[in-house]
Amino acid sequence: MGAFQSSPGQPEYVDLKEKTGFSISQIRVLHTRFKLLGHNGETLKRDHFNSIPDLACNPIRSQIIEAFFDRRNFRQNGEGPVDEIHFEEFLMVMSHFKAPSPRMIEERESVRREKLRFIFNMHDTDDDGTITLEEYRHVIDELLSLTEDLGKDTAKDIADAAMREVASTSMAHMEPDEFFEGITFEHFLKLLKGFEIELKMNVHFSIMDTPTFCK
Amino acid sequence: MISIYCWRIFVMCCGEQTWATSRMEMGAKEKNQQLYKPCNGIIAKKPPTSLQQDLKELRGSASCPRSEPQFEMADIFFFCRRGVESILDDEVTKRFSSQELDSWNLLTRSNYNVRHISLRLTVIWGLGVLVRYGVLLPLRVTLAVTGIGLLVVLTTLLGFLPNRELRFSLSEKIHLMCHRICVRALTAIITYHNRENKPKNGGICVSNHTTPIDVIILANDGCYSMVGQVHGGLMGMIQRAMVKSSPHIWFERSEVKDRHLVAKRLSDHVADKTKQPILIFPEGTCINNTSVMMFKKGSFEIACTVYPVAIKYDPRFGDAFWNSSKFGMVYYLLRMMSSWAVVCSVWYLPPMNREEGEDAVQFANRVKAAIAAQGGLVDLIWDGGLKRAKVKDAFKEEQQNLYSKVLLGEQDERDLGDDQH
Repeated sequence: MGAFQSSPGQPEYVDLKEKTGFSISQIRVLHTRFKLLGHNGETLKRDHFNSIPDLACNPIRSQIIEAFFDRRNFRQNGEGPVDEIHFEEFLMVMSHFKAPSPRMIEERESVRREKLRFIFNMHDTDDDGTITLEEYRHVIDELLSLTEDLGKDTAKDIADAAMREVASTSMAHMEPDEFFEGITFEHFLKLLKGFEIELKMNVHFSIMDTPTFCK
Repeated sequence: MISIYCWRIFVMCCGEQTWATSRMEMGAKEKNQQLYKPCNGIIAKKPPTSLQQDLKELRGSASCPRSEPQFEMADIFFFCRRGVESILDDEVTKRFSSQELDSWNLLTRSNYNVRHISLRLTVIWGLGVLVRYGVLLPLRVTLAVTGIGLLVVLTTLLGFLPNRELRFSLSEKIHLMCHRICVRALTAIITYHNRENKPKNGGICVSNHTTPIDVIILANDGCYSMVGQVHGGLMGMIQRAMVKSSPHIWFERSEVKDRHLVAKRLSDHVADKTKQPILIFPEGTCINNTSVMMFKKGSFEIACTVYPVAIKYDPRFGDAFWNSSKFGMVYYLLRMMSSWAVVCSVWYLPPMNREEGEDAVQFANRVKAAIAAQGGLVDLIWDGGLKRAKVKDAFKEEQQNLYSKVLLGEQDERDLGDDQH
């Protein structure tokens, strides 16, 4: 009981701050959460995410969990899945959900691209750069349930209808008999042009930099 | 005599602690660091709205009516964000680890971000360690050993007495005395509220569960029949000794699975008005005293009066939560005995009965709500068993159901729209 426990010193946090854009206090709180989820281990595995009850209710939980283990989201230009992640990678993925600071318009554009890239990666499970009909249908299946209300065929129909719409909007200039391979990232961006994802896909962190006293 | 001495030391340490806390606050302000944890969770959550409202809001921002191809994608954002929010902060996972404190109580174990703040504080902390481990711990261990030893010896002796009534009244006194010694051994400072509602014979006492010490705290003020599994070793010996002098209910491991057997034994005990009230913890596991989790309905199916009790520990003096996945019982007891003290409040709530047309689950939830309200705890519907098990798929299916209902509604609208063209 003699020595103080060591916590990551300031230099490591500063380094993470540069890379991810979180503040030091936010990083500290996230690190506590990381340790709680991982039972004080150095890394998180898929099982740790699976044990969160709230997440278990989410229809697309497996996609969300995969997104954390997908190298494309680590901003290191890697590809493919990993089995466990360290705190730095956890922060990298989390930073996709940060609200953009109210700065220049160019930044907003790049933030928008990043967030959309994240969602695109979530759909594109085989890493080939396009979302095929199969992949899209898979996501919709996860969202819908197989109850009497919505039979398996209806789900398939909804997916097909949606995909056809997508094909017609993005491939308006193609020959009618050309095969539609799938949605590329550029098409994806165009599709969601009117959609203010930088405002909708944010998690609002309630941590402030100045000390707050709660009584 | 000894307890007065301990109390004096304790008060002295409290004074030092207040000074230390204010010193730390000043130090934090100087360096502009955040020393206090935020009141809310990590995320500022919006007030919960229905799935339908959220989705409408999400889709509403699409630029034009031709938003059909976008509608599934937009919905994914919603679930994605919800998912990430759950990862960052959910109601259940944080209940199975110790509560975080606003200010440091000079115990390294409760401070998650221990950093060197000042020399003076380190010295005080060092003094605190000396006092706790050098003075308080040996005293407490001696007391504990005496208490348990007396309990075992006296109850065994009492088992030999032929006269039932004498045995009964003596056993009450012995149990009370030994529990009081054990309470002193932990330096538990307990405040009992509303003692007029104390559980009476022929009833069941239910309470929220934070630690095995809950039993000693309640038994300090009255005699209860305990319910539990038969253990081996020291615990088993104590159990066997206790049952010789008063009717506790110990189950074999195999019997626990048989719910009817359990229910029958409890009913039989309750029907006999000369026997003491049964003490049950319906949560089934230890929770960290910030919330009350799902009560198992088994104890509420028996037809008798239920006496709810709320126990709230003050976390500033020592963390009472037993994290059974982190450390075992002996280590936990040592931790308890080397904290400053165990300070808690016990509220006896007015007795409740199952009403007409109410089933066991509803009754259990009513009792749970009353206990949570009194103790200032969060009332959760989640099952404490989630500590070890996974959530059932039924919950995921429920969300999927909700979503498909919303979609179907939209689908009907769209079909109508198409027909009109």
